[in-house]
Amino acid sequence: MRRLAVDRRALRGAAVSLLAVVLALAVSLLVIALSGAPVGDAARAMWDGVFGSPAQFGATLTKFVPLVLAAVGWVVASRAGRLNVGLEGQILAGGTTAAVVGLHLSGLPMAVHLPLAVLAGAAGGAALGGIAAWLWARRGVNDFIATLLLTLITTQIVSWLANGPMEEPTGTLGQSSPVADSARWPVLLARTTLRWDIVLVVVVVLAAAYVLRRTVVGYRLRLTGANPSAAKATGTRTRLVGVGALCTSAAVAGVAGSSLVLAAPAGNLAPGFSANYGFDGIVVALLARNNPLACIPAALLLAALRQGGGLMEARVGISSGLVTATQAVVILLVTGSAWLVERRRSRRPAATAAEQPARVTEGANS
Amino acid sequence: MNPFDVALFAAAIRLSVPLLLAALGELISERAGVINIGLEGMMLFGAYAGFLAAYATGRVGLGLLAGIGLGLVLGAIMAFVSVTLRGDQIVVGVALNLLAAGLTLFLYRLQFGGTQPTTVKMEPYAVPLLSDIPGIGPVLFHQLPLVYLAYVLGPVVAYLLYRSRRGLRLRSAGEKPEVLDSTGVDVARVQWSAVLAAGALAGLAGAFLSVGQVGLFAENMTAGRGFLALAAVVFGQWRPYGVVAACLVFGFTDALQLRLQSMGAVPQQVWVALVALGLVIGAVGAWRARRSGSPLRWVLLGAVLCVAVGALGAALVPGFALPSQFWLSLPYVLSLVALAASARRVRAPAMLGRALPVRG
Repeated sequence: MRRLAVDRRALRGAAVSLLAVVLALAVSLLVIALSGAPVGDAARAMWDGVFGSPAQFGATLTKFVPLVLAAVGWVVASRAGRLNVGLEGQILAGGTTAAVVGLHLSGLPMAVHLPLAVLAGAAGGAALGGIAAWLWARRGVNDFIATLLLTLITTQIVSWLANGPMEEPTGTLGQSSPVADSARWPVLLARTTLRWDIVLVVVVVLAAAYVLRRTVVGYRLRLTGANPSAAKATGTRTRLVGVGALCTSAAVAGVAGSSLVLAAPAGNLAPGFSANYGFDGIVVALLARNNPLACIPAALLLAALRQGGGLMEARVGISSGLVTATQAVVILLVTGSAWLVERRRSRRPAATAAEQPARVTEGANS
Repeated sequence: MNPFDVALFAAAIRLSVPLLLAALGELISERAGVINIGLEGMMLFGAYAGFLAAYATGRVGLGLLAGIGLGLVLGAIMAFVSVTLRGDQIVVGVALNLLAAGLTLFLYRLQFGGTQPTTVKMEPYAVPLLSDIPGIGPVLFHQLPLVYLAYVLGPVVAYLLYRSRRGLRLRSAGEKPEVLDSTGVDVARVQWSAVLAAGALAGLAGAFLSVGQVGLFAENMTAGRGFLALAAVVFGQWRPYGVVAACLVFGFTDALQLRLQSMGAVPQQVWVALVALGLVIGAVGAWRARRSGSPLRWVLLGAVLCVAVGALGAALVPGFALPSQFWLSLPYVLSLVALAASARRVRAPAMLGRALPVRG
């Protein structure tokens, strides 16, 4: 009986997400129609942008990788009740440390150099997340304020690094030299931008899903997010869990950042290379209702929107801003309809307001 | 060459005004327990609406009103999703930022193609008599009309928050909504009004950027000012006058940054001023610590740091230039350090970022 209830809840969640996407897409098609552009051409451009050729599909999958990773980062923190709004900054930090390792170590075989660079990315992200975690745990600073401010600072630091200390020798391009070949992900599909880093997605998503669902650590993490006082009462060190979740989340974002450098066609550090993947990752996680496995289809969808939107802009002249706005509508619909999915809660014996755990995010109590 | 002239201080005031408008609105909203990460987006929408209205009618005032109007609409969206539907505040804010960045870009391109038309803008107004005072006059009283409104907004918000019944309810909503609820007040309604106020002010701040200052709209013209205003609320430690001071500091660093960029090397006076600032911080900190018995460590650290960097800079001149990124990130660093340093005494409103408890 219980099992059934859970499934029904998940199903309802998926239905709401899907409906939100369909609704948002319908709205943007309407906007296109109202703007006087040919809707059919726009839709075809969108479709071609995603599936038109192997190169286009490869490009979609290339955008898919950092999106999933960022989303999993959000899921890990959010399941523990922490809001890591600073994924964007951690992506920048991770990409930078990965680029440093890729640029300054040489003569290593790829089997050593590449993993080292990816790990450096994870460490860079985790370091930035660690600062936020310290501020949260020791100084009582809100996690979302700390991570957001750190992102804004990191953006400037990376822009400075790319234009200053790490700039390529001629010092004119405002970006670094490409990292060593031994630190770059090999191409997966010839004549596309898709590289082997897509393997990371499989590893990270499966690991996150397994740890969250099947291990004691994951259980304690979810318990901390769902009901901190119950977690504390049953012997979980909730503050430690919070710090761990923030750092892990940031490390995953750092890996996403390393991919954006080591698997990019240019393979170098440029200011703003995070390209809003951190914030889009939040959208993905929301659509996936904080379920790591569901992040995959959700990220595919957003990657397709991103990629298809590009061609739509080139061919029909519809600004890609519309795609960004569509994502925003999706978020608003999904967030606004959380109560549809959580409806069962109200039928439980009513807890008094004081005992009721603050619902920090939807889905945290699954 | 002395960078500290009348023009610099006048620019500092002018640059801090949009921050102040947005930050005071955000303060109201945050004290009621609703954090609005979407401030940047609301400002951008305000700038866009303000520009459009001014472009269509040729009236600055209508532009400002349009900014306020769209700000109210966005505030209503924010309040509906996060207060009424109990959606996550942070996430709604992220959505508003995306919406603003995307939609203004899309609509602006659609309407004007690649062109960037200009429209009317606000003209400075010299207050009679006051603007003739040497020094202060040109800085404080030869400004855009909206700047004068900003002068009184700080005290008004302070009065509202601390001296009025409305303010008491607002602050209770942010700290202990159950208590407010038990006195028969509709907490959601209190939060709604706070979020609407924040939206209106953010819209006005945005309109000030477009029709107030330059008379045109540019893609992403807020350029992070919304986040700066968010930081100002943190740096101002959730108090009206603290927020005013924070906005002035941020406006000043912004003006100084712009000035220094055109000057190349950092002039001697800046380093001297930094040493002086360090000494003032130290003195004020010591005086306050003596009165309230609060620990001195962090204040002293800041003071010593200022003096040391200032002295070092003065010794290292000439030819030492700080990258613009240093100045751009300075407000955020200051906010974070201030928050970390004062975390024991100052904390965010208890309900910040949380949905209201479900009523049993």
